[in-house]
Amino acid sequence: MKFTSELVDELANKLLIGLSKEENDLVLREFELIDKSMQVIANMKNIENVEPMTHALDDTEIILREDTAEESVPIEEILANCDNTEDREIVVPKVV
Amino acid sequence: MTELGIVKLHEMLKNGEITSDDLIKESLIKSHKLNETCNAFVTIIDDAKSNEVTDNLLSGIPYGIKDNYSTKGILSTGSSNTLKDYIPFFDATAVANLKASGAVGVNKTAMDEFGMGGTGTTAHTGIIRNPWDLSRSCAGSSSGSAAAVAAGIYPYALGSDTGDSIRKPAAFCGIVGYKPTYGMISRYGLFPFASSLDTCGVLTRSVEDAAIVVDAMKGQDQKDATSWDSRNIHLYESLNGNVKGKKLFFIKEIVDIVNYPNATEALIKHLENFHKSLDILSSSGVEIDEVSIDKELLKVIPSVYVCLSCAEATSNLSNMTGIIFGPRGQGDNVFDMMKDHRTKGFSPLIKRRFVIGSYILQKENQERYFVGAQKARRLIVDKMKELFKTYNALILPVSTGPAPLLNTEKDQLNDDDTLLLEEHLQIGNFGGFPSITIPNGLINNLPVGINITGNCKDDVSVLNIAYALESKMNYKDMVVKDE
Repeated sequence: MKFTSELVDELANKLLIGLSKEENDLVLREFELIDKSMQVIANMKNIENVEPMTHALDDTEIILREDTAEESVPIEEILANCDNTEDREIVVPKVV
Repeated sequence: MTELGIVKLHEMLKNGEITSDDLIKESLIKSHKLNETCNAFVTIIDDAKSNEVTDNLLSGIPYGIKDNYSTKGILSTGSSNTLKDYIPFFDATAVANLKASGAVGVNKTAMDEFGMGGTGTTAHTGIIRNPWDLSRSCAGSSSGSAAAVAAGIYPYALGSDTGDSIRKPAAFCGIVGYKPTYGMISRYGLFPFASSLDTCGVLTRSVEDAAIVVDAMKGQDQKDATSWDSRNIHLYESLNGNVKGKKLFFIKEIVDIVNYPNATEALIKHLENFHKSLDILSSSGVEIDEVSIDKELLKVIPSVYVCLSCAEATSNLSNMTGIIFGPRGQGDNVFDMMKDHRTKGFSPLIKRRFVIGSYILQKENQERYFVGAQKARRLIVDKMKELFKTYNALILPVSTGPAPLLNTEKDQLNDDDTLLLEEHLQIGNFGGFPSITIPNGLINNLPVGINITGNCKDDVSVLNIAYALESKMNYKDMVVKDE
């Protein structure tokens, strides 16, 4: 079988997410269905020549805004949502 | 009073029959009451202050804000445990625009976690129930907004729509749900789910109110590069109900009853009702054609949606770590802390979606899945754009009937015959098309809806067709009454 519960756990681990057995089983079932549809897409006539659509609108115009200084948000307000801070820093366990 | 529409409320505020304070108080009392039965809100803003009544139609009138819109100084959780204490330090642009109009936010509405669900069952505050029948789903993800508007808490609430998250809850709750053209309303401050599909919008009880609110929310924003200049579009002013000579199409493969050999009685009635609505439009001078589209192309719509939305969501929500905001996880090192936060914080549904997204984005799978889905998206959108050269809009029934019972609601991919009828609204997000759902009937005393989708930036045509149909039926301004 192309999709296995080990593969699902490996992917979840990469995302730093733990899955229960039930969650793992559901993902496996959905993978099979998605894969089936993808086969339909792959078999479509001339699909290889189609330009992938990455945005909803094709006519988006990117305009650079004026390079003017704006007031930034006080750092205390930003840090207010963090559980562990010290002065202007975020506290985490030793990494290196 | 909060059951009335915006124009009537504005008139009463202006001539002194009521005050903004009266409306806010009434809305707050009703919010508490509804929350006991429907779980519609994450936060009720009890200290919401009335506003001065100006010439702006929205001034002094209360409204609801979906909890994935950032609101300065007010809890904004996206209905997720991962953000259960998060208080933004800025307003989403759409919210700021409404604030500038004098509108008063009175609650934050509950939703499927981060918008990733269609049942209203994954909010961290509990299952959101349909005020028409508490044993039934509101659909999702704008479930709380739909429940609140249907219950007459206020004339409108904000929603967001990535697959059908405004337009399906509107159908199940007997109200109007409008997703404008992609980029008409800035997404700045809206928690991202799948950025190429996410659209801000509104749930109301009339097309007129939907036009008024989106007029106030929209506008180009320096903080959202995908927003565009719509200052020449005046939705409310353009409502005239004149649809003579407009051309609509519906898709045979989705609507024809022969596609559903095991159709339930509700589905049969729903499709009959759909055709009655078409007859109403025909008698108003609208030309309606049945169009056939390659079923192979239509069949891939749900999988294309799953691939694109999961992949984009996995990337967008990788910043949910519990380190710089959100509750800290336990662990001896940063990775264990993040894993603990994410494992405990996310609901099973979105964990599954992330894993699918991760698989799709693995280098060895990208071409087959992610790029394949993007190519299929192009084919579907090209087909619609080709049809929009001849037709003003696509018209289709929403879902397979009224709201399902909560214990039968699925939020998983399946390969049922009716999947396309459930999921076709995703076409609107693929192309960024303006799309509106309005109620078009009752089946077993429960509302059902019809959807109209048009070409990009032609929101005026879409709204006018909906406005004309609404005016010929009796389902405008429906409010669920207490027993």
